[in-house]
Amino acid sequence: MPPVIELDHISKRFGRVLAVDDLSFTVEQGQVCGLLGPNGAGKTTSLRMLVGLVHPSAGSLRLLDAPVRPGVSTLARVGTMIEHAAFVPYLSGLTNLRLYWEAGGARFADAALDDALAVADLGDAVHRKVKTYSQGMRQRLGIARTLLGRPDVLVLDEPTNGLDPGEMREVRELLRRYAESGATVLLSSHLLSEIEQVCSHVVVMERGRLVTAGTVRDLTAAVGTVYVEVDGDVVAARSTLESLPGVGVVHDEAPGLLVELGTVRRADLVAALVHAGIGVETVVSRRRLEDAFLGLLHEET
Amino acid sequence: MLALVRTELSKQLRRPRTWVALGACALIPIIVAVALKASPPTAQEHGENPFFLLSVNTGLLVPGAALRVMSRLFLIVVVALFAGDAVAGEASSGNLRAVLVRPVGRGRLLAAKLCTAVTLSIAATVTVAVAGLAAGVVAFGFHPLDVLGFHRSEGQLLLALAGGVGYVAWSLMGIIVFAFMISTMTDSSAGATLAAVGLYLTSQILDAISALGSVRNYLPTHKLDAWDGLILGRSVGSDMWQGVLLQVPYIVLGIAFAWWWFRRKDILS
Repeated sequence: MPPVIELDHISKRFGRVLAVDDLSFTVEQGQVCGLLGPNGAGKTTSLRMLVGLVHPSAGSLRLLDAPVRPGVSTLARVGTMIEHAAFVPYLSGLTNLRLYWEAGGARFADAALDDALAVADLGDAVHRKVKTYSQGMRQRLGIARTLLGRPDVLVLDEPTNGLDPGEMREVRELLRRYAESGATVLLSSHLLSEIEQVCSHVVVMERGRLVTAGTVRDLTAAVGTVYVEVDGDVVAARSTLESLPGVGVVHDEAPGLLVELGTVRRADLVAALVHAGIGVETVVSRRRLEDAFLGLLHEET
Repeated sequence: MLALVRTELSKQLRRPRTWVALGACALIPIIVAVALKASPPTAQEHGENPFFLLSVNTGLLVPGAALRVMSRLFLIVVVALFAGDAVAGEASSGNLRAVLVRPVGRGRLLAAKLCTAVTLSIAATVTVAVAGLAAGVVAFGFHPLDVLGFHRSEGQLLLALAGGVGYVAWSLMGIIVFAFMISTMTDSSAGATLAAVGLYLTSQILDAISALGSVRNYLPTHKLDAWDGLILGRSVGSDMWQGVLLQVPYIVLGIAFAWWWFRRKDILS
């Protein structure tokens, strides 16, 4: 089966600025892929090219096995929200949804309105003018708008911007459920924890270039840091590990400890604890995406 | 295409600014009628605009008077506003990208937005005439024009008025298309509107410089007032025909450039 999203050596130049430089990656069906990178990495430009808003200077893009160009019919199967959710401010939320939907030549009766309104969770406010909405309400309505066509692909740029923690969690669960139903999601985010919690795959960009792409698990599985849970005195375990030559920093992470291995092998660490009479329950790699991300960027520079 | 036009028109008709502009187009002719009634003009005061002088004889000339006055600037600003905001206004609010991520061709969207701007501009011109007609009939009655042996029946005056409205609406097309073209090139609707009004004012200024000779014949506003002879019984066929043709290159070139530009434009707002 061909990839749902395919970027093949795309570049985008704005005058002298090379915003995206020879970027290639694919996203398969059912994947939730996070596009990660610092500000100015070219994430939003890449997403804009993917949905035909921006013309690539070089390379090609395919979406649902069809070449991408402005207004292409496959966009009917894609729900897109780029940057902040924009609406006609003097119209109600519901009228905005209707006009958005009808602009594509479809009947509003065919839209998945109930599902979308459940996501928007605006209650009677959906009949109010959008200019009276908070940023969170606009963002929820924006996500709801992407779902009107029961899309096969969701392309979301910073989807949880402006949402409170509860709403962010709901969106994350929504995206997970959506991917489980067979849809494909590509989202960019500044929130590494969000990518880590939602995404199965990640694409890391910096200065317009691809740094790495793969599963979140692979990216965080490096052996640099391990999480240790002991059967006994955690304070004594910490003291033992800190006195072990070559071990880096030891952090508390209840109920266990997070240990930067430094030059020490995992087996030496276990041996030291056992030798001190402390039982070892768990030793697992625990490199957070943030560490991996920052490490990758450091390597790049 | 029809769905897009309906959507665009629906957005504009729900916009308070549209109704404020159309309301002003209705209000000014009423003010003109009230002013003429309160203080009937003399030949010395309005020697160059016979509509004002003759309006006291029949209300059917008041819309002509209002159209003549308002087509000099106010209508220009209104139509430039409708056309200048068409693309740039949505681009600046970010709503343009929300539409373009749907399976909507850029050419179709552009055509729908131009249709909407033209429709609203025609509505503004018609509003001036209808409001002027209503106010004029209330103030001066529904009579034929009989002055110094010159006679025009009510039917002839209404027909001439309809022709004048059509001519003015067409004569504004060059400005509309220019504002629309600029609107595709910027995210500032005020900038596009001002550019179009600036073009009009420049054209008017250059048209007043007789030393420019035949160059003036190609200015978009050169034949803007050619229609008034229709109502006043002068032979205007040649002038009006030239005025109609004069708009064609501005319209064709403006639309072609807007289309070329917008299809290649990166939507970054």
